[in-house]
Amino acid sequence: MAVDRDEMLRVLRAFEAAGLDYVLIGATAMGFHGVVRATEDVDLFVRATPDNIERLRTAFRAAYANDPHVDEIRAEDLLGEYPSVRYYPPSGDLYFDVMTHLGEMASFETVDSEVKAVEGIHVRVATPAALYRLKKGTVRPLDHQDAAMLRKRFDLKDED
Amino acid sequence: MPVQKFRSVEAMNAAPAPASAGPPFERFLRHCARYWAIAPREYPRGVFKFRSIEEAQAARQRVAQR
Repeated sequence: MAVDRDEMLRVLRAFEAAGLDYVLIGATAMGFHGVVRATEDVDLFVRATPDNIERLRTAFRAAYANDPHVDEIRAEDLLGEYPSVRYYPPSGDLYFDVMTHLGEMASFETVDSEVKAVEGIHVRVATPAALYRLKKGTVRPLDHQDAAMLRKRFDLKDED
Repeated sequence: MPVQKFRSVEAMNAAPAPASAGPPFERFLRHCARYWAIAPREYPRGVFKFRSIEEAQAARQRVAQR
């Protein structure tokens, strides 16, 4: 089954409708800034509160026809021992990496972000400089390539 | 400029790829759709939990190598 843009937009619309506090990071956020590469996942930080995790569940249920697996996304995990949760929805074409924090390095509260609009949907995405900071310090070669692309495109410096 | 000519592969690789028209996010979605069509993956279903980003990346690699 081929992914279609409607799925991505449906999820982003559901995030907004649920009032989810989130910020997109990773390749999806880069796409909003015009740095385009393919990805299989949608990475996002969410505000680490029980109410916000419930909003996340509400959004995923709305976007994926009450998929029962959504009930396995639990605040006690994301706010406790498991700050990273991966959700594979029934469409089978992409997946979501939901994080409350990335070690001590970053969280919803610490990542600089801005709001972009697509088809009337307001989407909070990490700024290019914030994405660069996230990616330049990691170990994946792909992240280093991303950091290099962001640095070149936005004329970022190491201190950014 | 629909057609570009190059005297060498090196010159071709050095040429910046012109960005197509349209909003950046739409280009991103089209690019992903092509990628997914060329290299479809079969993912597991459900929710998986990780204690660290390293655990999450290791799980991602295991799925990619299946």
